[in-house]
Amino acid sequence: MLLTPSPWEDPSLFAEQVIAGLATGSIYALAALSVVLIYRSTSVVNFAQGEMAMLVTFSMWSLTLAGFDAWMVIFIGLALGFALGGFVERTIIRPVEDKPHLNVVVVTLGLFVFINSVATWIWAQGELPKVFPSPFGDDSVDIGPASVTTHSLGILATALIVMAFLYLLFNKTKIGLAMRASAQNPTASRLMGINVGRMLTLGWALAGAVGALAGMLVAPVTFLYPSFMLAVLLYAFAAAVLGGLDSPVGAIVGGFLVGVMENLFGTYTPGDILGPEMKLPLTLLVLVLVLLIKPTGLFGREQVRRV
Amino acid sequence: MDIWLFLALTAGCSAALRLAPRIPDAYRVPGSVLVGLAFFVAAPILLDDFRLFQLSRAAIWVTVAMGLNMLTGYNGQISLGHGAFVLMGAYTSAILLDSESQLGFVDATPWPYWTTIIAGGVIAGAVGLLLGFPALRLSGPYLAIATLALVISIPSMIRKYDELTGGSQGLFIDQPEAPFGLAEHLNRDEWLYLVTLFVAVFMLVVAWSVLRGPLGRTFVAVRESETAATAMGINVARTKVTAFTISAVYAGVAGATLTLLLGVMTPESVDITTSINFLTAIVIGGLASILGSIIGGIVLVLLPSEGPELVARLPFVSEETVNRAPGAILGILVIAVVLLMPYGMAGAYHRLAAQRPRTVMRATRSIPAGARSRLREMRENIRWWLEDLPWNRAKAESTRENGP
Repeated sequence: MLLTPSPWEDPSLFAEQVIAGLATGSIYALAALSVVLIYRSTSVVNFAQGEMAMLVTFSMWSLTLAGFDAWMVIFIGLALGFALGGFVERTIIRPVEDKPHLNVVVVTLGLFVFINSVATWIWAQGELPKVFPSPFGDDSVDIGPASVTTHSLGILATALIVMAFLYLLFNKTKIGLAMRASAQNPTASRLMGINVGRMLTLGWALAGAVGALAGMLVAPVTFLYPSFMLAVLLYAFAAAVLGGLDSPVGAIVGGFLVGVMENLFGTYTPGDILGPEMKLPLTLLVLVLVLLIKPTGLFGREQVRRV
Repeated sequence: MDIWLFLALTAGCSAALRLAPRIPDAYRVPGSVLVGLAFFVAAPILLDDFRLFQLSRAAIWVTVAMGLNMLTGYNGQISLGHGAFVLMGAYTSAILLDSESQLGFVDATPWPYWTTIIAGGVIAGAVGLLLGFPALRLSGPYLAIATLALVISIPSMIRKYDELTGGSQGLFIDQPEAPFGLAEHLNRDEWLYLVTLFVAVFMLVVAWSVLRGPLGRTFVAVRESETAATAMGINVARTKVTAFTISAVYAGVAGATLTLLLGVMTPESVDITTSINFLTAIVIGGLASILGSIIGGIVLVLLPSEGPELVARLPFVSEETVNRAPGAILGILVIAVVLLMPYGMAGAYHRLAAQRPRTVMRATRSIPAGARSRLREMRENIRWWLEDLPWNRAKAESTRENGP
């Protein structure tokens, strides 16, 4: 049996692993933002989020074939994601909103299966996975001992911009206030003259746009196939819950933490009992431990319930 | 016999006893339950081996659905991770039955197969008890994601500790044969079906007696309002942990039975999709309902494999569409059921059963009208949305001011 050298003996390995973790973490962070957005504006966890993003990304892939520029495609995709989110809310979520809470969850699960199948039907005929162009290019940049691609840096920048945008929207604008109010107490908001229905649609539409953005930026890294968003979305859920489901800042921090922890657990735990295969369970274990100490995540607000 | 014909006959005869006019009320519920049970016991005569295998699988999923329904439907805690408990029960059974097991602490001779069903329930229940305490602190989506994390982790743990679990290869066991002189009348598939049916019925009866008793009332009280329940002297924490443990026991028992049925257990036998589908099943079947768990379990097995084929029989659907996108049909069916029957199929049925028999006939006639009004509602929603678009709103305002 080949004796692998102990990872502790290579000093630059740690920095490399952390930076690589931050790069993948930024993907999770961006996807987690869309989860947070929809939870914050509608109090629902949307399981079809990833598939909606996948649908948009595939459509945009078709546009790149038609010769559209990579940046152009991103903006068209944002608009399409926005429209898709709003459309889904109006047509199939609206009728179950006043029904038992689980029904919305199950409807999104049904939507998940539906979109996945339709996308497979349309796009899985040719070669898979498909290559999606990156608007940031694929050159690599050296940061200390590790090298990252410009695309990773681009994702990181995008995630921070989206987070800042969401923070300003929710905390500094009237429409953000209205969205928060209608998620927390629809009846009271309605009495205050807020059009709650419109706020819900807006929340879904915005989440659709952010999700689509995440999909289009993840696709150059993972390549494009019908369930490419599933794994990303599972990590994104973990990241969002770790940071607190109602906090955009938490989603970013959670995303980075999950990305870095995953890499470090894979490298630095003894291979005979834990090692790389166990990095996912260990990361999720940390998630559960954090939830035990702080049930609403790192940055989540404590729920105060009045009786 | 065709599986759909079989199910239609079962449901039809059972519902007829419940809904028909001029039957003494005291006989309605027991009558319909017994008739339904009789059909399922007679299934080995009526159905071929493949259909019987599907029904056995359905019986196992019914057991899981019943456990999950106690947790989610009656107690209000959401779990997406019951697949993990199923796998724990299944592997307990597989390890105990595997004659080549290399474990120091397990005797090399396999246990009698029925004891492993109990062992599966006990192990899964013990883990459920341990996990029930952390679950206490989490609510709603946080609990859902934490349990999802559980079901994602278990398969990689099974692969990692392969000395115990056989890794990705899985564990193979000898499936039980019919005992005594029954072997000449029943082949192995038929016997396994009867075993799974017995387990499912037994667990349903236990669930029924638990849910109608004080514990069941406590579950519901905690679901409705934790504060009110505390004020009535209910120990909320203990109730929630109890519900979590019981539902884990159900999943573990089902898992052990699954090992017997399949004869092999691999980490992929219960995947994330199946685990999430347990929740879909109880919502489609009906939350907080025993009948709902039964319907949900059967639907969970039959809908993915047979649903598309059933839809292809409709006059306006081409077979090609169905073959190329089976999931599209499944997704539409799931969404349609939730939209049309918000309280699940069992909820719709109970609402029918609560009416007088003559009203039932009238209600059946009004179903097309109900569907029409639902469609109208969806159309209205889209129309509002369109009117709400900024440019349309501006147009409407200018029309109001200046006249058309």
